[in-house]
Amino acid sequence: MSSQLLEVAGLTTRFETRSGALNAVEDVSFSVAEGEIVGLVGESGSGKSVTGFSILGLIDPPGRIVSGSVKLNGRELVGLSHADLRSMRGREIAMVFQDPSATLNPVLTIGTQMRLAIAAHESLSEAAATARCIDVLTIVGIPDAGRRIEAYPHQFSGGMRQRVAIAIALLNRPKLIICDEPTTALDVSIQAQILTEMKSLAARLGTAMIWISHDLATVSSVASRLLVMYAGRLIETGPIAAVLRQPHHPYTKGLLNSLPGVAEPGQDLVQIPGSMPSLVNLPEGCSFRPRCTHAQEDCTLLPAFATDGDRAFRCHHPLNLPVSASEARP
Amino acid sequence: MSETRALVEIDSVSKRFTPSVSIGERIAAWLGSPIDTRTVHAVDAVSFDIRKGEVLGLVGESGCGKSTLGRVIAGIHPPSNGSAMIDGLAVMGSGSKPLKTTTRIQMVFQDPFASLDPRVRIGETISEGPLAHQLVSRADARAYVTRWLLAVGLPAEAAERFPHQFSGGQRQRVAIARALAMQPDVLVCDEPVASLDVSIQAQIINLFLKLRRELGLTMLFISHDLGVVRHISDRVAIMYLGRIVELGPTPAIFANPRHPYTRALLDSVPKLVTGSDELVTFKPIQGELPSPLSPPSGCHFHLRCPFAQARCSTEPPQLDGRHHAVSCHFPLSDGE
Repeated sequence: MSSQLLEVAGLTTRFETRSGALNAVEDVSFSVAEGEIVGLVGESGSGKSVTGFSILGLIDPPGRIVSGSVKLNGRELVGLSHADLRSMRGREIAMVFQDPSATLNPVLTIGTQMRLAIAAHESLSEAAATARCIDVLTIVGIPDAGRRIEAYPHQFSGGMRQRVAIAIALLNRPKLIICDEPTTALDVSIQAQILTEMKSLAARLGTAMIWISHDLATVSSVASRLLVMYAGRLIETGPIAAVLRQPHHPYTKGLLNSLPGVAEPGQDLVQIPGSMPSLVNLPEGCSFRPRCTHAQEDCTLLPAFATDGDRAFRCHHPLNLPVSASEARP
Repeated sequence: MSETRALVEIDSVSKRFTPSVSIGERIAAWLGSPIDTRTVHAVDAVSFDIRKGEVLGLVGESGCGKSTLGRVIAGIHPPSNGSAMIDGLAVMGSGSKPLKTTTRIQMVFQDPFASLDPRVRIGETISEGPLAHQLVSRADARAYVTRWLLAVGLPAEAAERFPHQFSGGQRQRVAIARALAMQPDVLVCDEPVASLDVSIQAQIINLFLKLRRELGLTMLFISHDLGVVRHISDRVAIMYLGRIVELGPTPAIFANPRHPYTRALLDSVPKLVTGSDELVTFKPIQGELPSPLSPPSGCHFHLRCPFAQARCSTEPPQLDGRHHAVSCHFPLSDGE
């Protein structure tokens, strides 16, 4: 395995709200190797986006990172000054958001916005900057980039706008791109184009990615490793195919079973009962306990994040474990 | 199934949207300035039937006209041409005034945050329509609301609460109860699970399956999600730029897509990859949806179609075939 590019350890991000303090992200630890695509999956409120924002230092009051560390190439990012964070963002870690119409400035041509993004980190001549802009626009598959660079965001379709947003993320050749639901707002045919493009980009440029999504199928087609979050905590990690084939955590299994396509058409889907608990008022112990069909008495104690080879899970009664391994467990 | 008669008949329905021209613009035009009178052809001569007790899935990408078609069928928009009939009666008359028949069709919308009035208690939201149409007396309204709340899996106390006290999935249940309380013959569901999380989505899909079993509902189920449509529909219609390009029984459409667009759409859907050596490759459709302001001539798909020939750019194909219909000059053969 190549060296670790990003190491997140014990990350906890807390928000003070009117109804009390809540940990949107609690004790999350994982790492991303150079050139690796890691999928981060969870439902709304699971903390997946806040994890992405925390890595970039984009947490504003009433939220703050209360503990843990985020290391990029060994350098600690938590506690950096605003100026240091600004110089890191975009140059070392870039982000692509879900809604490209909200990320692009509607009153500037995309060329102007892109040159600004370069100027934030490097002083290049106008001609050199423009050349690089055209270069990355071509990489993400925008035809006739030399002419389109003078167009405004509204002159692009949704899919093309997302390509522009990805191009901006690529401008300063970051080592890591955090993609927060980058294809959720797009049609399937456009999503397929973007997924194909991103995969080949990661392979060609050696850029690592954290791919945040609620859609297991999309993630499984791009990522090599999977992280599953529930109610702020990481509950299962591992090589994506192995996790999807034999999930250890009942929640991961429940998510997989609730996909249409698992059950015969017309038959009831295997649903997870109930809904995600409020983060202000989490159940004691394992947060999934009230919805879990495998829950037992000891689930009122928070399970540790147990490691088993290249896989890890937070559950007292994991599924699909090899017999020897489950016997060996106390 | 084939001997059951059609409950909903859609006969060459078109819907065009033309920007209204103000007096100022008319004067400007009279003085020689060009005015923008481009027309959006949202729905272009669509015909199909929905049989009693059937769930018809309507699939397409954004901008293909599927929601507009759903609204024409539900009597929200009058069609520009053609007619939408339920049990032989027009959903809408020639004018824009809805007829009594529209209460026989109810709609469930995508966003349960936007479709419920935040200031009205759930009980009132559900009973308003039935009271107005004398489906229930004021004295029985409470029991009537309870009945529908229980049917969609909500407690009777929910009637006293406001929309903000519910989660997205629960709100969608309220929206479904409101539609059902009108005792419709047909339910038009426009992306009813698109805004919900996977685990909640499964709960709502199961609710639709249950209601269908218990009430024998006839549904038009509009969605962009092929997996959901495959699960819930008896037949599927694929729409592209205002036209139906393929229509047939769900298993046939998914096993043997005959229109190149249907096949490309199916190829674009990410599948769950569970083999570590599986190589994921998409065969994305080239290009993007053309603007419905100026749809291409002939077959609307010919610019993006890998099988297009000269004839495709001039002559629009007709939807052809009784059981599994396709609108293509060169349909893909079965089993290919």
